[in-house]
Amino acid sequence: MAVLVPAAALILWELCSRLAIVSPRYFPAPTTIGWVLADRLAAGDLGSELAVTLTRLAFAFALAAVPAIPLGLLMGIARPVRDLVEPYLAFIFPVPKITLLPFLLIILGVGEPAFVLTGSSSAFFQIVISTLGGVQTMDPRLLDVGRNYGARGLRLFWKVILPAALPAIFTGLRLGLGLALVTLVAVEFIAAKSGLGHLVFRHWQMLSTPEMYAAFALIGALGLVLTRGLRAVQARVLAWQDEIGM
Amino acid sequence: MPTHDPKVLVDDVSVTFESRGRSVVALDRISLQARAGEFLCIVGPSGSGKSTLLRVLAGLHRQSAGAVRITAERPGTPLTAMVFQEHALLPWRTVRDNVAFGLENRGIGRAERDARAREMLALVGLARFAQHYPHQLSGGMKQRVGIARALANDPEVLLMDEPLAALDAQTRTIMQEELLRIWATLGKTVVYVTHSLEEALLLGDRVVLLTARPGRVSEVYPVDLGRPRGLAVRGSPAYGALLETIWARLREEVVRAMADDRGSGPETIGA
Amino acid sequence: MKATARWLAEHWIAVVSPIALLALWEWASATGLLRAAFFPRPSTIAAHLRDLTLDGTLWSHTAITLARIGASFALAAGLGVAIGLAMGLWRGLRDGLDPVFAVVYPIPSVLFLPLVSFVVPAGETALVVTSAVTSFFLIALTTTQGVRQIDRLVVEAALHYGARGRRLFTAVLLPGALPSIFTGLRLGLGFSLIVVVAVEIVSASRGLGALLWLSWQVLKVEDMYATFVVIALLGALLSYGLAAVRTRLLPWVPDVGER
Repeated sequence: MAVLVPAAALILWELCSRLAIVSPRYFPAPTTIGWVLADRLAAGDLGSELAVTLTRLAFAFALAAVPAIPLGLLMGIARPVRDLVEPYLAFIFPVPKITLLPFLLIILGVGEPAFVLTGSSSAFFQIVISTLGGVQTMDPRLLDVGRNYGARGLRLFWKVILPAALPAIFTGLRLGLGLALVTLVAVEFIAAKSGLGHLVFRHWQMLSTPEMYAAFALIGALGLVLTRGLRAVQARVLAWQDEIGM
Repeated sequence: MPTHDPKVLVDDVSVTFESRGRSVVALDRISLQARAGEFLCIVGPSGSGKSTLLRVLAGLHRQSAGAVRITAERPGTPLTAMVFQEHALLPWRTVRDNVAFGLENRGIGRAERDARAREMLALVGLARFAQHYPHQLSGGMKQRVGIARALANDPEVLLMDEPLAALDAQTRTIMQEELLRIWATLGKTVVYVTHSLEEALLLGDRVVLLTARPGRVSEVYPVDLGRPRGLAVRGSPAYGALLETIWARLREEVVRAMADDRGSGPETIGA
Repeated sequence: MKATARWLAEHWIAVVSPIALLALWEWASATGLLRAAFFPRPSTIAAHLRDLTLDGTLWSHTAITLARIGASFALAAGLGVAIGLAMGLWRGLRDGLDPVFAVVYPIPSVLFLPLVSFVVPAGETALVVTSAVTSFFLIALTTTQGVRQIDRLVVEAALHYGARGRRLFTAVLLPGALPSIFTGLRLGLGFSLIVVVAVEIVSASRGLGALLWLSWQVLKVEDMYATFVVIALLGALLSYGLAAVRTRLLPWVPDVGER
C-alpha cells in the first residue's frame, strides 16, 4: 500500500497529462519533471540554488540553536530569568515569524542577514520553548536522587538536569530546523533573488512549470531528509531513551 | 546484636507545608530513634507523612521544627542513601554508572567505583547487566539497581521509601527475601517506609505506626519474631497475633483518613 | 485577590520588565540613541495604532484577514478531521497516504500558491485554499494519531458491552480521538494565521499581511509596527483563547502541552 498508492497517483497523473485530460502546461507529466530535475541537477544550476538555501539554513539554525539552548536551560533553573523572558516569548511565539522580515529589512537592509535572521527567529523560539519544557517537566525525583547522592550546584546541572532535558532539547532542534527551513523558503519566495524558494517563484512567474515542480520536489525531499535525519541522529545519540515522540 | 546508642534520633520534628495559601501539617511533633544495625519499619495510612519523614532524614526537606541527628561513625561516608519509590534511576546512565553515581559525586576514582559497583551488582544478582540501560530491565531488576546504588554509597543509614510498592506480588515476595539476606550480610541501619503491615512484620525489628494526617507516632511495636527470619514466619501464631493487634490500630487510622478525605480535613488551618 | 497579590509578589519581574523595556525604548528613541526612523517611540506607535483604528483602516484589514482565516480553517478542519478519521480507522488508506504526507507536509504552504492557482480561480479562492494546505495536513495527522492511540482495552470493553458500528464510533472512537483532534485544530488555527499572513504578503492588496508589506514598501515604519501589534494580538487570541476553550470543552483531558 505504502508504495502502491503513491505509484498509482503518479501513473494517473502521467496519463492525464499525456492524454491532455489536464493541461500539460500547468501539470506536466511526472516523467517530464523527472527529466528536468535530472537535467538541471546535472547542469549544476539547481545544485547551486540548493547550496544557497542550505547555507542560509545552516546559518539560521546555528544562530538560533546556540543562544536558544542556554537561554531555555537558564529559564528552566532560574525563575527570575524565566519571569524576565517569558512575557516576550508569549508575545512573539504565536506571531508568524515571516512578519519579522520587513522589520529586519529596514533595520539591516535587503540582504542575507535579514533573510537568515527571519529563518533563525522561527527556530529560536521553538528551541527555547522545548528546552524550557524539558527542564520543567523533568521527573522531580531525579533531582532528589541527585541531591541525596551528593550532586549539588553545577554538578547537579551537568549530571542530572541537562541529561534529563536532552530529549526535549533534541525535539526542539528537530522542530526548529523544520521551521527554519519553512520560513527561509517562504522568505526566498517573497523577497530573495536566489535559493529554492525563489526558484519556485521565478518559474511560476515565467510559467516554466516543469522547472517549478522540480524545485518543489527538491524542497519536499530536503524537508524529509532533514527531519528524518535528525530523528535518526536522536535515536542514536540518546540510545537510553525508551522511545522518541513526534 | 544491635547496640543501644541511637543511630538515628528524630526529636520533636514537625513539618508544615504551604499550599494554595493554606498550611497543611504533615508531621506533628514526631520523636523516634533507631539503634545502630536496626531495621526500623514505619507504617501508616496514606497521607500520614511517612515519605515526608524519610525526606527529612535524607536532607531533601527541612523540618519546620525539631531536630534530626544521625550519628556518623565513619567520617567521609554519606549519612544517608535513599532507595526511592519506583526506583528513580537516571535513564541515561547504564546500570553500572547508576550504581556508581554517589561514588562519582564524591570524587572517587573510576577503577575503585567500578569495582565497588561490580561488587554491589553481584550482591543483588545483576552482575551480568552492568552495561544495560534502565529501560531494558524489568521492574524488579530496576529496583535491585536502586538498592545496589544505595548500598554502593555505603551510607551510615539506609533509607527505603516503599521500595517494593510498584512490583507485582510474586516479585515483591522474592525481593523481601533478598532484602533480608542483604541486610543480614551488611548489617546496615535501615529506616523502611511501607504501607504493607505484612512486609513490616517480615522485615522489621520494630514497627512505628503513624496516625493519619497530621502524622504523629501512634505506637511503636517491637517485632519479637526472632532472626534470621524467612517467609515461614508468616505461619507462626506470634506473627498472626501481632498482625492482628497492629491492624486493629491501623484500621482506625485508615478509616479516619478516608473520612478526612471526604470532608475538609481537620489538618487544614486557614493561613 | 489574595492569589493575584501572591502571584505578583512572586513574579513581579514578569510585569516590570516589559514596562521597563518600553520606557527604555521610549527614552532611547527620543534621545536619538535608537534611530527613530527604524525604532519609532512606543508612544508614536500607540498614536498610529489609535489613528488607524479610529479611521477604520485596521478594522477593515483585520476583518478581511479574519474572514480568510475562518474560511481556510473551516476548509482545513472539515477535510482534515474527515480524512484523519478515515486514515485512523482504515489501515490501507493510512499506509497509502503516509508517504504522500511525509513529502508534502514539510513544504511551506506559500509555495503551494502557484500550484493552487492553476487549479482554482486566482485571487481570493486561491489564497484561501493555499492557506488551508498546511493546517489540513496537521489536522489530518493529529486526528489519525488520536484514533490510533485510543486504548485498545477501552475499545475491547466497548465491543464486549455491545457497541458496534456507528455506536462504537460515536460513543468510543470519536470521543477518544477528540483530545488529539482538538490539539490538531488548535495548532491548525495557529498555522492558518501564519499562512494567511504570509500569502497576503505575497499576493494580496488587502488584509493585515498586505498592510504590513505595503507599509514596508512605502517605508511607513509606524504603520508597520501598528500592524504588527494587531497581528500579535490576533496570534495570542487564537492560540491562548483556544487553549482556554479546550479546558471548558474537554474537562476530562489533563492540561497537557502539545509537545
